[in-house]
Amino acid sequence: MAAPVPPGAPRPGANARQQSPHPNFNPNFQTNPNSLADNMQNMNLNRPHSMPNSGPRPSPFGQPPPFPQSSVTAGFPVASPPMSRPGPPPGMVGRPAVIPAGPPQTTLPANVPPGRPVGLPVSHPPPFGSRPPPASLSSSTGGAVLPSSAFPSSGVSSASAAPPPSGARPSSFVSSSPLTGGPAGPMSRAPAGPSSNGPPAVGAGALPGAPRFPPAAIVSQPPVGPPPSMMSARAPAQAPTMRSVLGSSAVSSPQTPPLPSASSPFPAMTQARPPPLGSPYGPQTWSMQPQQGTQPPHIPGSTHAQPPRMFGMPQQALPNQAMTNIPPAMGQPGAPMSGSSKIDPNQIPRPIPNATPIVYETRHGNSANPPPPATSDYIVRDTGNCSPRYMRCTINQIPCTADLLTTSAMQLALLVQPMALPHPSEDPIQVVDFGESGPVRCSRCKGYINPFMKFIDQGRKFICNLCGFTDDTPRDYHCNLGPDGRRRDADERPELCRGTVEFVASKEYMVRDPMPAVYFFLIDVSMNAVQTGATAAACSAINQVISDLPEGTRTLVGIATFDSTIHFYNLKRALQQPLMLIVPDIQDVYTPLETDVIVQLSECRQHLELLLENIPTMFQTSTTAESCFGAAIKAAFLAMKSTGGKLLVFQSVLPSVGIGALSSREAEGRTNISASEKEAHKLLQPADKILKTMAIEFAEYQVCVDVFVTTQTYVDIASISVIPRTTGGQVYYYYPFSAVSDPAKLYNDLRWNITRPQGFEAVMRVRCSQGIQVQDYSGNFCKRIPTDVDLAGIDCDKCILVTLKHDDKLQDGSECGFQCALLYTTVYGQRRIRVTNLSLPCTNMLSNLFRSADLDTQFTCFLKQAAIEIPTCPLLQVRDHVTNLCINILLSYRKFCATVSSTGQLILPEALKLLPLYTLALIKSRGLRNDGRIDDRSFWFNYVSSLSTPLAIPLVYPRMFAIHNVDSKDGDESVLPPTIPLSSEHVCDDGIYLLENGEDALIYFGSSVDSSILQQLFGFTSVDEVPTQFVMQQFSNPLSKNFNDVVNVIRQQRCSYLRFTLCKKGDPSGMLFVSCMVEDKNANGPSYVEFLVHIHRQIQMKMS
Amino acid sequence: MSEMANMDSEGIDAVRMTWNVWPRTKVEASKCVIPLAASIAPIRPHTDIPMLPYAPLRCKTCSAVLNAFARVDFMAKIWICPFCYQRNHFPPHYAMISETNLPGELYPQYTTVQYALQSFPDPNNSNATQLPPVFVFVLDTCMIEEELEFVKSALKQAIGLLPEHALVGFVSFGTQVQVHELGFSDMSKVYVFRGSKEISREQVLEQLGLGSAGRRPTVGYPKVLQNGYANTGVNRFLLPASDCEYTLDTLLDELQTDQWPVQAGHRASRCTGVAFSVSAGLLAACLPGTGARIIALVGGPCTEGPGTIVSKDLSEPVRSHKDLDKDAAPYFKKAVKFYDSIAKQLVSQGHVLDLFASALDQVGVAEMKVAVERTGGLVVLAESFGHSVFKDSFKRVFEDGEHSLGLCFNGMLEINCSKDIKIQGVIGPCTSLEKKGPNVADTVIGEGNTTAWKMCGLNKSTSLTVLFDLSSTERSNVPGAANSQFYLQFLTSYQDPEGKTMLRVTTVTRQWVDSTVSSEELLRGFDQETAAVVMARVTSLKMETEEGFDATRWLDRNLIRLCSKFGDYRKDDPSSFTLNPCFSLFPQFMFNLRRSQFVQVFNNSPDETAYFRMLLNRENITNAAVMIQPSLISYSFNSLPQPALLDVASISADRILLLDSYFSIVVFHGMTIAQWRNMGYQNQPEHQAFAELLQAPQADAQMIIQERFPVPRLVVCDQHGSQARFLLAKLNPSATYNNSSDIAAGSDIIFTDDVSLQVFFEHLQRLAVQS
Repeated sequence: MAAPVPPGAPRPGANARQQSPHPNFNPNFQTNPNSLADNMQNMNLNRPHSMPNSGPRPSPFGQPPPFPQSSVTAGFPVASPPMSRPGPPPGMVGRPAVIPAGPPQTTLPANVPPGRPVGLPVSHPPPFGSRPPPASLSSSTGGAVLPSSAFPSSGVSSASAAPPPSGARPSSFVSSSPLTGGPAGPMSRAPAGPSSNGPPAVGAGALPGAPRFPPAAIVSQPPVGPPPSMMSARAPAQAPTMRSVLGSSAVSSPQTPPLPSASSPFPAMTQARPPPLGSPYGPQTWSMQPQQGTQPPHIPGSTHAQPPRMFGMPQQALPNQAMTNIPPAMGQPGAPMSGSSKIDPNQIPRPIPNATPIVYETRHGNSANPPPPATSDYIVRDTGNCSPRYMRCTINQIPCTADLLTTSAMQLALLVQPMALPHPSEDPIQVVDFGESGPVRCSRCKGYINPFMKFIDQGRKFICNLCGFTDDTPRDYHCNLGPDGRRRDADERPELCRGTVEFVASKEYMVRDPMPAVYFFLIDVSMNAVQTGATAAACSAINQVISDLPEGTRTLVGIATFDSTIHFYNLKRALQQPLMLIVPDIQDVYTPLETDVIVQLSECRQHLELLLENIPTMFQTSTTAESCFGAAIKAAFLAMKSTGGKLLVFQSVLPSVGIGALSSREAEGRTNISASEKEAHKLLQPADKILKTMAIEFAEYQVCVDVFVTTQTYVDIASISVIPRTTGGQVYYYYPFSAVSDPAKLYNDLRWNITRPQGFEAVMRVRCSQGIQVQDYSGNFCKRIPTDVDLAGIDCDKCILVTLKHDDKLQDGSECGFQCALLYTTVYGQRRIRVTNLSLPCTNMLSNLFRSADLDTQFTCFLKQAAIEIPTCPLLQVRDHVTNLCINILLSYRKFCATVSSTGQLILPEALKLLPLYTLALIKSRGLRNDGRIDDRSFWFNYVSSLSTPLAIPLVYPRMFAIHNVDSKDGDESVLPPTIPLSSEHVCDDGIYLLENGEDALIYFGSSVDSSILQQLFGFTSVDEVPTQFVMQQFSNPLSKNFNDVVNVIRQQRCSYLRFTLCKKGDPSGMLFVSCMVEDKNANGPSYVEFLVHIHRQIQMKMS
Repeated sequence: MSEMANMDSEGIDAVRMTWNVWPRTKVEASKCVIPLAASIAPIRPHTDIPMLPYAPLRCKTCSAVLNAFARVDFMAKIWICPFCYQRNHFPPHYAMISETNLPGELYPQYTTVQYALQSFPDPNNSNATQLPPVFVFVLDTCMIEEELEFVKSALKQAIGLLPEHALVGFVSFGTQVQVHELGFSDMSKVYVFRGSKEISREQVLEQLGLGSAGRRPTVGYPKVLQNGYANTGVNRFLLPASDCEYTLDTLLDELQTDQWPVQAGHRASRCTGVAFSVSAGLLAACLPGTGARIIALVGGPCTEGPGTIVSKDLSEPVRSHKDLDKDAAPYFKKAVKFYDSIAKQLVSQGHVLDLFASALDQVGVAEMKVAVERTGGLVVLAESFGHSVFKDSFKRVFEDGEHSLGLCFNGMLEINCSKDIKIQGVIGPCTSLEKKGPNVADTVIGEGNTTAWKMCGLNKSTSLTVLFDLSSTERSNVPGAANSQFYLQFLTSYQDPEGKTMLRVTTVTRQWVDSTVSSEELLRGFDQETAAVVMARVTSLKMETEEGFDATRWLDRNLIRLCSKFGDYRKDDPSSFTLNPCFSLFPQFMFNLRRSQFVQVFNNSPDETAYFRMLLNRENITNAAVMIQPSLISYSFNSLPQPALLDVASISADRILLLDSYFSIVVFHGMTIAQWRNMGYQNQPEHQAFAELLQAPQADAQMIIQERFPVPRLVVCDQHGSQARFLLAKLNPSATYNNSSDIAAGSDIIFTDDVSLQVFFEHLQRLAVQS
């Protein structure tokens, strides 16, 4: 393992996937145990797709990915070698990317065009690879273990189903791919240019092609023009999509479509021009859309107010535009809009997923390439900047001055996800070993060597890109410069040519030997937990997951249970049976043994399994209702203190006794309504400081706590969550816990938790170039000193928001560098430093900022900040704040960038055209509603705190699919059916819909669903028979199979098993579904159209 | 042999007094020098003691029990209490009484009778309410593997010996305390208590799930009505021996030495104090009145939590007498206070703490003494659990039959005495119940301020010393016939090993004498042996309780005063000094007492001293006298075994000496004998006699060992061998290197500067006759 590049440690029996080891793997992975992730990737690997490099790469995992379920693996091989994935080639389905691939953005920056790697990628396998194979997730607990056979029964048919589809996929990809990449980009730009303001909203845009062209035409942009034909084909369908490609799009010029002139204003425009280049691709671009197009015909209606008009589209071209043009009077609120019918709701900007992955090079021609949307599917080529998966900025150009930033009203922040799961087709992160001396660093700011450090004086010195200091090159690192001023060895040295590398840490980076991988399981066995089946579910999940723990002597495990006392177990092999050790003093706890509570897995496996089988029965007759959660974790912590490690807690009731006992505050709040109105948010704050103090201590000793809350009552997540948040863990919430449907998810969550790529005892710091400094970090960690964050545990799902501020002016034309260094220990006990570099151009142009704004990142940043405010501010204030953030940005754009003609139009920057929609969705989200349970809200904002960008969007703006007709599509399309806008207009009474947000999934039954469809999909015939608890099953019919495929694809994409709730009209469950229709007007907020009107009015007011 | 002696000297009453006639006044009494005291063995069995299956009659005013000294009016069916002269009517069931039909307690020879009481009179089912005895074993696990194996096997053996119905609990401790839930069937289950934190009885109960308030039925254990404990839940921890023997065996097999690491240069972390707290807390959940004992097996000093006697750092030695004297033992007082609180709790619960300590270094017996002694617990100090001192003693505790200790529980001693007699207190294994009364003296010695004492644990050899005083007021009533006698009545109620409640009543009478008139009578009533033992006990007590007490001087002064008062001499003429035979042995006792481990503590560790003193206080007079002045028997070809002078002159090359100093028994072979033995003559048929000679002292030693508890240490040694020191240390150094020129060949000398008995006498005579 020591070798940096080593192949992955062979997983145990894992399924040996003979297939190829993929080149792609990250080095880490190799070394890392991150089995799951790896596996996933491996799967992908199988894809035909061969990376050029691949051959040479060390295949990290030679071994087959250890899939969780053997069964799965089995399935795969068979399936298709090409597509490793089980059925659904995940890749296919695009995330609901907001914007089709790059186009929009790219567009603007004319520069870009060349950048994109366009066409090539095609061959690539679908990106999704990264996600966990559905299979693994799928089966219900029991099933999981079993071979494939199990699956069917379990309901999740992932495995079996998978194969076939895969076959299909390929084709699809191919086709799409070609088109994809390239074209999109260029195209968009072109149009953009012209339209200058791209009113993204405009449906017209949707057809990227279409709209653009028109504009183009008008504008005279030749480039675009291209494949009209293509367009046409797609057009119909897509047209609506918003993509309005105009990159710039932002504002639509009012009616005057022909804003050619307008366009000029935009810098973008000008750039756009280069279009010509783009044009070539153009055609292809379209192709991409086709797929999307088919479904999503949302037409971006620019709604009301003059809304957004499509940029590019000259009104004329599209009928839609016309509509848009006629902006109802702003003044008139909703009425006008709807009434006038001028605003076509179908034309409002909505996200459109892109179907095939694009290949994205992080830098091109020595300048940064703006990244594709976080929610889209892409494959990164690290050409100097890091993959946007690891780090992305809210704006892809850095404002030179703080004033400029303030003017834009946008946030400047980084979202850092240092261990993010790469796409399986991506190259692994390379590991660099500098030996005992450790990596080369700037002697002043301690920044790590990176591609942006400039070597001078024949390579004898180098200038730090972060602090500007000139350092001497260490003698043994010296190398002469080539004619281009770069070191001659720059391309051979990953640290000089890659945005992300890993350094092997030398002794200097270790305070102690790297810690072993310690897993401590703590299970609630109080009466409620046992009786609801939560205890049994936890034991069973743990039992199954044992085999997924890293092999070897460095893996230590321990287990304890607790009710009103804490029960440890001595698992030492010498004993004939485990010994239960009770710690009864729950006010002042301690560990009952020094050594044998945590034992090498290899030594205690049998005892552990036996014990896990026995625990549920052993406590069956318990009548102890109390639970001493706080004391129990403290005791477990004491047992782990010497090493640190992961503490996985399964908690089922409100902790009522011992240290950190909590009270049923929620109930108290209810009885005292008048007080609670004002102080409602106080219930979302931790009850007291005890748990916080404990958490800080845990973090100090590198204990990372994850809490699995399997409950049917209030447990005060607000208080409990402090522990995982501070220690780099997370809360999993199963409410109301069902012994029927939840164990499978619990198992899969636990499994992913343990097998995903992760590190221990980590410290992270972000460094910035002079002029910018880190203002604050937020996420799940403990911060003891201002500059660093301590992460007792860090994994691929954790994301940290790093807000930035200016402390000086930057120079226009220069680049601003960001470097995130993560020092951590792999599960195999290697100390590594993962260094992630991003270098972005600085600009003085406000319009550049808008053009290069990254919607997903900005919104995620909003979301996280709102989540931080929730517990401390009254709800109204939080909502207003969010709305104002949105308004201010749009206002700034309107004021300074848009070429305005009529004040009656709402003009949106192209890059941010979905901001209003997302903002509205956020306001209506669970965390910002006051009708929810306190625990639900607490969970929501805690969940958000570590949420990654790709998952943040669906959390507030879920995807909805129709599943009553999943068999109707063509075999060669993506498994996922088209997404449907979240509006009840799109929900029919005879339909069944699946709505998912990455964590939960709702299945909604219209009131008049065809009983045969019900029978085929669910095994019952009437909506009245809809059960309250749901276990996925696969029946032997194509509909059911497709449905299962869909679900599995989603699971893969989300790395989550999804928690299903069945909803039917008229039930509370139905209400739940309805409340997710964010575009509808309801108690929590206006409709989408109304909201746009509201925003417009606000902007107008402020303008005047 | 001592047994026989006991019989004779103590008789049916098992009461021995320093003075068998008492002076009439306090002033006179103080002139007697030796305090008025009685040594009693409250439940010593005697074949002549009648067992009365009914409840005793009590005087309605002083509640003394009807006894052989009461005057009875058979006609009027009235008895007059000899203590308070109250006239009491006999109850109806005594209607049959007559001069020829006396109840047992009125037979003149039955000054001691025993009543079998039933706490819950239920003729049909007399056994139903008897509570089984409870044994909680508390095992130290901080010891080397080998020691642990020894102690485990001793434990297993002990458990096998317990009566089937006896309830057994098990607690082990090291850094932490582990209470084993023997009734949990799914797996081995233990409650772990931290060793560093003091824990109250309520906390223990609460945390073990035995609290009265939140009595938590525990998981997995069916509630079984068992032995009447069901509602307390304590039957999770205490199981009948027959039920848990297997469980315990397995548990002991798996039990390992303490897992917590011991730093180099440090002592193991051992929380003896908390272990006691927890065990006591566990027993608190038993029904009141249960006979229960905590049997602690300790292998080292307490270094953790309350009751710590020394720090973990090995560079700091365990406190010595010198440290104690100089107040340089930082842990001592705190620890004693802690163990005192344990004692109080146990006494209030009526439970016993037995201490079996085996270690080369001290374990803290000195601190724990208070808890052991107050509860009437047993104590054994050995240097290893593999040593016979421990092994055999431990086994003896549980053995039935002739040598059974007869462990009884919940004893209570009450003393009634005639007017004008005051009780100062009791020295011995008991606790004052603070029951005030007219017979309580103002001054307190030992456990005082009361006329009733609790003896949580007692056995048939348990002895107590009661110290009396006389009323300081001049007696108003003229000495008359009526009160020329005084009476003492000792009432001891207890649960016998079968759980039956018994009451033993011993009533003794002695005479008042007007010592101003005649000291002759007083002299004849002097019991030198008892007096010596009482002096030893009082001295020990004073040494422990009085700061800066100079024992040797105090003893010397008293001896001189005594000799001055009772000796015959002409003033200032030492050579004229003679002592009445009743006193003749006393100075020698004092000489040996001065040299004994009780007074010369500096040769011993505080633990040993505490141990010796506890045994001194609880043994009968004969045994205690042996501790002070060992017996020496000589074996040779020339004569039968005969007592020899406790003098270095008794050593001879052709003799075997058997020294019994109570704690150790030394068989000492003279040089010649040793050579013969080494040459194997005893194995040759023609030297049968030699073999027998060698055998005789061994056999006698075994006899002594068998009846003694704790089992003494047997030392077999040869003249000039290193072990010979065990003998030499006890002998009068009549021959030392100072006068070695004139000793006989084959004898020996002692390298000491101690004065010999002869010198001591010379000085005594001189000082006694000084005017």
